[in-house]
Amino acid sequence: MSDLLGTMQEILRDLFDDDELIVTRETTADDVGGWDSLAHINLIVALEDEFGVRFATAEISSLKDEGQNVGALLDLIERKLAKE
Amino acid sequence: MGPSSRFESTERRMSRHKAAHIDLGEFFTGGLSTSSFRKLTKAIKEEIAEGRVESAARAIRTAVQPDLDLQSSLNLHRLIGRLGDAAPEPARRIRVAVVSSYTADPITQLIELNLFARDVRAEVYRADYGVLRQEILDPSSGLYSFKPDYLLLTPSWRDIVHLPKPGDGGERARELIRTEVADWLRLWEIAHERLGCEVIQDTFVQPAWRALGNRELQDPVSLGGTIRRLNIALADEAPSYVVLHDTEHLSASTGHWSWSDTRFFHVAKLPCAPASQVDYSHSIASLVTAKLGLSKKCLVLDLDNTLWGGVIGDDGLEGIRLGQGEAEGEAFVAFQEYVKRLKDRGVVLAVCSANDEKNAKEAFEKHPGMVLTLEDISCFVANWGSKADNIRTIAETLSLGLDSFVFFDDDAMQRSLVRRHVPEVEVPEVPSDPADYVRTLDKHRYFQVVSISAEDLVRTESYKANAKRIRLRESTETMDDFLASLEMRERTIPIGPMEVERSAQLINRSNQFNLTTRRRTLSELKAIIEDESWLTRCVFLTDRFGDNGLISVLLAHRDGAVLEIDTWVMSCRVLRRGVELHLWNCLVGEARRMGIERIVAEYLPTSKNGLVQDHYRKLGLDLVESDDTGRTKWECRVKDAPTPIASHHLQSVAS
Repeated sequence: MSDLLGTMQEILRDLFDDDELIVTRETTADDVGGWDSLAHINLIVALEDEFGVRFATAEISSLKDEGQNVGALLDLIERKLAKE
Repeated sequence: MGPSSRFESTERRMSRHKAAHIDLGEFFTGGLSTSSFRKLTKAIKEEIAEGRVESAARAIRTAVQPDLDLQSSLNLHRLIGRLGDAAPEPARRIRVAVVSSYTADPITQLIELNLFARDVRAEVYRADYGVLRQEILDPSSGLYSFKPDYLLLTPSWRDIVHLPKPGDGGERARELIRTEVADWLRLWEIAHERLGCEVIQDTFVQPAWRALGNRELQDPVSLGGTIRRLNIALADEAPSYVVLHDTEHLSASTGHWSWSDTRFFHVAKLPCAPASQVDYSHSIASLVTAKLGLSKKCLVLDLDNTLWGGVIGDDGLEGIRLGQGEAEGEAFVAFQEYVKRLKDRGVVLAVCSANDEKNAKEAFEKHPGMVLTLEDISCFVANWGSKADNIRTIAETLSLGLDSFVFFDDDAMQRSLVRRHVPEVEVPEVPSDPADYVRTLDKHRYFQVVSISAEDLVRTESYKANAKRIRLRESTETMDDFLASLEMRERTIPIGPMEVERSAQLINRSNQFNLTTRRRTLSELKAIIEDESWLTRCVFLTDRFGDNGLISVLLAHRDGAVLEIDTWVMSCRVLRRGVELHLWNCLVGEARRMGIERIVAEYLPTSKNGLVQDHYRKLGLDLVESDDTGRTKWECRVKDAPTPIASHHLQSVAS
């Protein structure tokens, strides 16, 4: 498990109060109970705090779009980190 | 550090401490970091799993800090849910409705959490976002079936209907503001009339941007200027059942741009940046707490490295850092100035220091940099005993409950000891830099106020006098001599408009001498004093040490020839002075005049009013009913009502 994915898993476990939660790149919001739009905002805030990145409005709102999953989110973070 | 190593170390640590209760001091040392917070969460879960809900609830309450991040706050909120029905009975239960132009789900949860931290359980109703006016105007809305005690209105500036346009002159702009204020007054009035609830209204927050640049403040039609003027007009016009919650100030003190991260408004209609919601909810909860009479009353201060830099016993008068001309010395002066302002508006100050009393007092008497004087301190304790014991002594001397105390000490060990041995006392973490002291204390909003009465302004004198009275009692031979030496004068009158605010305060703040612990909002009490079926009395007391102000309230309800004592409260400062006997005699006299045949009364036990469980027995009433919760009912016939001898040292003065 990459460090990024591991941290993501830790944050999601915290967020959804589930110490057993297993997160892969293929995990989508529908796979995790309680991952609604408000939980998603909390996730965004936690990721911004953790990695010191900033998500654009469109990036925050595109959660429910087709093809969105944890992998896509991680790639986005990686691209943001690479720019710094 | 990878997540797995963090996880393991937590495991190891927890298994070592498995048997121990949560030591909160350990978690707070050096501030709450993400990892220490995770440990705390885990420990709390364990406490709950093992059935130690009291300890778990206390840990949750203590962990709620004004600067806590959003995620930790939401996690704590979830832990409250885990307590379930096993949660300890709170001091108060209330119903709060949040009616907002925004998505209010997170603030709803955060307000619940922050109230829980102050021992208040709130059931919160949240209206759908964006239907603020409809919710109030439509009598069939969810708001009216919910019937809140408190209604929180959180509009945005986009809800302002009467905004001036460019080209409108100053007169037109003022007229629009008047019309807008009238609209809000009507909404408040409708809600209050239909629900009898108190209203908390957010002030409007200015956007961070300024289309008119620096001209915004002076220009009659600018958005920023209009919002400022509207806020002031709302504050000026608000009736007594409305409190303006100054969200505009919260935003300004955070910084308008950081406060309003507009991405989250566009994505989810959040009122402010997600992180700002924590501070907002803390502030709202502190206001509700103040309305309930549960704000803290007394600030207990350490001296060395708290009020000045260095140790007076070691460094001497010349050696301590305090006063102008030196950076750190100035920071201590600034803290003292802040504390003095608290005292000036009614917060009682006490000193609790590990020092020789002579050394400690010398700084107050002789150091030119001192802002606080010995006169400002209602109770001064400097010795080498345990601070926990000393704080108990201070509470007894001042006749104040420990749960109204805040203890401020730079020494982490003292804080930890006080947390452990006097858990009722609030103990904030104190930063290492004295320049941060003011911010730390202020951010906790311990001493939140909704109104300031004449009594608040002279409180220090009153408590100082009380401390002197207690010292006198210790030195006086007999109780009778003591009472005689007090030269007491009392005045007992029906509660009128002049007395209603202080009477409501007393009803809501008294815990010990309180027979039924029925709380009443200001508006409820106003309705009672207007209602002819109610008999109300309040008692003022002065003595040679000063004016005690309004110290007792009695509310009785008449039903035909029966008079039922609904509420009887008295300030514990004036216990054992014969005041309650006197008030009973007044009541019996009045009952005779009214042609009442029977007086009935009850005692409802709480964890705090054991003091008065035999009150009616002592007055000579007959016990007619009791149950296994400790609740008792009493009565007597007026024609043979006992009239105990009130203290002959209590001299009545004409009202």
